[in-house]
Amino acid sequence: MKKYLAVFKLSLAREFEYRLNFLLGRLRNVIVLLLLFYVWRALTLKTGTFAGYSGQELITYVFGVNILRSVIFGIQSRRLASDINDGSFSKYLTQPLNIFWFQFFRELGQRAIHLLSAIFEVIIFVIILKVDIFIQTDVIILFALLVAAALSLALYYLLSYLVSMLAFWSCEAMGPRFLFEWFLEFASGAYFPLSILSQSIFLGLAFLPFAYLIFFPIELYLMRISIWQFLFGIGMQIIWILIVGILCRYVWNKGLKKYSGEGI
Amino acid sequence: MKKYFKVWKQLSICAISSYLSNRIDSFSYFFGKVIRFGFFLLLIFSIFNYTDSLAGYSKYEVILFFLTFNLLDVFAQAFFRGIYLFKDEVRLGNFDFTLTRPVNPLFYSISRLTDILDMIFLIPILVFIVFTINKLGLEFGFLNIFLYLSLVLIGALTILGIHIISAGITMWTMESDNVVWFYRESMTIGRFPPEIYSGFLQFVFTFVMPVIMIVAFPVKALFGLLAFKWAVFALAYSVSFFYVSILLWKLSLKKYSSASS
Repeated sequence: MKKYLAVFKLSLAREFEYRLNFLLGRLRNVIVLLLLFYVWRALTLKTGTFAGYSGQELITYVFGVNILRSVIFGIQSRRLASDINDGSFSKYLTQPLNIFWFQFFRELGQRAIHLLSAIFEVIIFVIILKVDIFIQTDVIILFALLVAAALSLALYYLLSYLVSMLAFWSCEAMGPRFLFEWFLEFASGAYFPLSILSQSIFLGLAFLPFAYLIFFPIELYLMRISIWQFLFGIGMQIIWILIVGILCRYVWNKGLKKYSGEGI
Repeated sequence: MKKYFKVWKQLSICAISSYLSNRIDSFSYFFGKVIRFGFFLLLIFSIFNYTDSLAGYSKYEVILFFLTFNLLDVFAQAFFRGIYLFKDEVRLGNFDFTLTRPVNPLFYSISRLTDILDMIFLIPILVFIVFTINKLGLEFGFLNIFLYLSLVLIGALTILGIHIISAGITMWTMESDNVVWFYRESMTIGRFPPEIYSGFLQFVFTFVMPVIMIVAFPVKALFGLLAFKWAVFALAYSVSFFYVSILLWKLSLKKYSSASS
């Protein structure tokens, strides 16, 4: 555990080292935040509600996404694909560490900084734009949110890891990752609440793992789901973690046999 | 001119070969772009299931803003993609070899990579634009269509200027292509009508990073909502901006120290 803590600390330090990259990464989030904020504000300006959401709920959704995605959506496992493709993956095989947890703690260090930045951005925008956001004070809901967010983090990491392992079979793993990332952005509800989509599309997405990454935790925060829907959501998260986890293990074992260290 | 077309054609043939030899990547990137485009379109359609207008615009009017954003964004991705490789060219010293070639180094640097996937993607976007304009059922005069096309070209010239400035700054700083990435992120603002934004943001994205001028002016001109003085302003801004970008490029070339070669 000590060595993974060291990885976590190094990852934090690395983010501070490449400050410009970090700021550019955050800038993208800020522009998307502004875009969505103004879209929803324009839609709720007249009546104060839209698609069953109050103006306050929609704005909280946008700001909540900014915070939640900063914790959940990482890019470290993308490095796994490029490491496999260029052969630098070999060095991990000779080191006394588990690469899964190594990448995870490296991701966690990076995410910690992004989380602090996202909270800071939200506070700044709430003040500048003079918006009224919903602050959840119910301790039970906040605890449930913590559990749902932790499961989202685990599910995203496993999904991302699985896609990156395509690199064991093909040197063209970055294209599928691009496809995966864009599908995930939308299907997770990171751009808009999935419930504004038509019933059939929404139901289709509800059985995929993506909706439980962003949409579900924020709906929980806004208290827009019943206790049964909460239990169903947590259940879906656990089921998908188990399915993707088992797949990861299988693909890892197969992939290691296939790995040739090409590019060393 | 003929020589440059031949160079561009040859570079594009090389790019096609590369895309064809990486079929999984190419297919995934293309499909990823389709998904991004499709989901935003789905968002607009879903929004209009609950309302009749967004900032005073109807569904197909909002879609035309979105499509014009895509037209210009994808056009730049298709034809100015080489600029994304420029940072490494400078950093590794490979730009020295470009300077020795019997071709304009700026032209070569910008067009050395043609994104065939984006070129293909331009076709459905153009079809969608024609379909949407047809769907709007408005009687557009010749002047409106002429202004739309002219302002799209003016927008493309401004985008080219931004790419040249990015290349110029890269030569000075030797490390980063931040300007072009800042432009990419800012273009997101152009997906929706400018009236949804605050006055301050409209000012910033018209005069400082002219996304609104690039994307919204053509559409508003087509709808007859753009005063003629703004069309003249766009032309003057774009030409001046392009001229300044060329000056900066020439200045940067003098400053280029070939540090890594």
